[in-house]
Amino acid sequence: MRKIFIIILFLAISLPAVWAEGNRDYMRETGKINVVVAVILVIFLGIVWYLVRLERKLTKLEHQIHDAHERKN
Amino acid sequence: MNWKSLIPLLHKEFLLEFRQRYAISGIVLYVFSMVFVVYIASIRVTPPVWNVLFWLIVLFASINAVVKSFVQESGARQLYYYQLADPVALLLAKIIYNALLLFVLSALAFAAYSLVAGNPVKDPALFALVLVLGSLGFSIAFTFIASIAAKANNSATLMAILSFPVILPILLTLVRLSSIALRLIQDTSYTRDILNLLAIDAILITLTFVLFPYIWKD
Amino acid sequence: MWWKTLSVVLILYSLCTGLLVPLKSGIERAEPAYARSGQDVNIRFYGYNTFFAKPSGEAVRVWLYADEAHALAARQFRAINDTILEAVFSMPVNLPDGKQTVYLNAIIDHPAAGASLLPSAVELRQDTGTVAAALDSAWTAHPVENLHVQSGFSFPYQNVIYESIRNTYFHVPMWFVLLFLFGASVVYSVKYLRNPVPENDRRASAYAETGLLFGVLGLLTGMVWAKYTWGQPWSNDIKQLMTAVALLIYLAYFILRRSFEEYEKGARLAAVYNIFAFASLVPLLYIVPRMFASLHPGATGNPAFGSQDLDNTMRAVFYPAIIGWTLLGFWVAHLRIRYQRLYDRVMDIEG
Repeated sequence: MRKIFIIILFLAISLPAVWAEGNRDYMRETGKINVVVAVILVIFLGIVWYLVRLERKLTKLEHQIHDAHERKN
Repeated sequence: MNWKSLIPLLHKEFLLEFRQRYAISGIVLYVFSMVFVVYIASIRVTPPVWNVLFWLIVLFASINAVVKSFVQESGARQLYYYQLADPVALLLAKIIYNALLLFVLSALAFAAYSLVAGNPVKDPALFALVLVLGSLGFSIAFTFIASIAAKANNSATLMAILSFPVILPILLTLVRLSSIALRLIQDTSYTRDILNLLAIDAILITLTFVLFPYIWKD
Repeated sequence: MWWKTLSVVLILYSLCTGLLVPLKSGIERAEPAYARSGQDVNIRFYGYNTFFAKPSGEAVRVWLYADEAHALAARQFRAINDTILEAVFSMPVNLPDGKQTVYLNAIIDHPAAGASLLPSAVELRQDTGTVAAALDSAWTAHPVENLHVQSGFSFPYQNVIYESIRNTYFHVPMWFVLLFLFGASVVYSVKYLRNPVPENDRRASAYAETGLLFGVLGLLTGMVWAKYTWGQPWSNDIKQLMTAVALLIYLAYFILRRSFEEYEKGARLAAVYNIFAFASLVPLLYIVPRMFASLHPGATGNPAFGSQDLDNTMRAVFYPAIIGWTLLGFWVAHLRIRYQRLYDRVMDIEG
């Protein structure tokens, strides 16, 4: 999960740089619509990042509850 | 609030400072070394740089001067004070004392600083007023933050972290007012800035009174 | 539960309309951008989202506009394609009010796409030759009138910003979410001081944490947008500074919380700091605008927009977007609160 996320983040950061190669200014052409895409992407990834973190904490908590049950039985 | 207890409490602060002279001399030395650093590090100080550096020196000297005001007395002794006197009166005494201390410190810093870096102040009356207002504002904000930070172990670090966002409005207004006193910007309507500063002080001191009872109880 | 559904619906609505609704027609630039009086000039207008070549019932009309009373109509013009229009102007022999230079705004009126305007499109200079005493009648012969308005839903066109005006529905709401979440955090800090139960502290800290998340997102998206419109990601704009200071306050808040061994003490002092710092942030709203110019619209530190920056069609997307994102923020914060509640219970049972 974490690895996938890091890969996505890496792609999101590096792709515009790759696109910017050559003479095309990817962010400025077609009426700067890609700036909007980038902004939406940042918001989406940010919220997903937070949810993934929260889920990891929850998983840890579940393990803890599970262990406590085992000990009791 | 019991106003009569204010005088003895203030007296106590002075007495404490007098007995621990090394603390205040430490701060004075701190100011002098910072001024000296400015002197050897920069070849020529232009008025805008003078302005910013001066307030930085005063800011850090103030943080260091105020941070000790709650740490120097042990927890048991403070609890004893709180039972003897109204905690809010105690805090007010500390604020007044710190304001006086900070004013003396900033005046000292100004003297030393203008000796090594020149004195570009064109409007001494306004600048003096700015120093008074500055030490008052710094004192209110820092004393309150120090009372929070003193409850933790690494209070010096915490003090710097906690006070920076709180002090920013005051600091920005001070820098603006003093650049008017230095004639760096032409602005005759600076009374609004002074009123701003007083309003901030009023807000902070009200909050201080409301919130302090939640701090000192343990 | 209904508000979670509402937040999804509103965000979906703002995403769809915000991305699909077209921009109004606009003029990007005019070439050449200068002219001398008394000459015939051939000026090319480059349009954005325009339909110059599309046949329409009425004719397209072109003006160079100096002020209310003075405008020049094009003598003749032809559309090269949908986005390029070539117009011939006979420049008058003298300028209004005996000026030496006049900046003329270009207006192109299309029956279907509506009127579009380019401010200061052409600089007109007085030629040094003979200057007639009476004002040239060309200035008043064809006044600008009967302009068309584009029918249907569309967003305003602005040079430099272009399509990225749509970011208004995604970047700006982050700031509102931050404001509401930090506000809720302060409210629960006050509640905690009056009634010190763990639930109030859980809420205060969870709102602060999610507020921090949305603040960082607002700052990042703002930097992306600023890079391609203002030229650099950080320009000490007051709103950037304000957000940065607000984030610093809450970072300090979390450091303060964690520097105590006893839970109750940390929660209480953090609540006190939360209230104190938030209150000291408010004066910044009044002070900073006096010192720093803002690049943001509504420049004098006004958190809302002026009527020029936000027209009615934009409002119809912008306000739902704010409500939608705010509800989403509270939703995420709610998850955080529920996690903390569970965590505290497990820790209680385990001892």
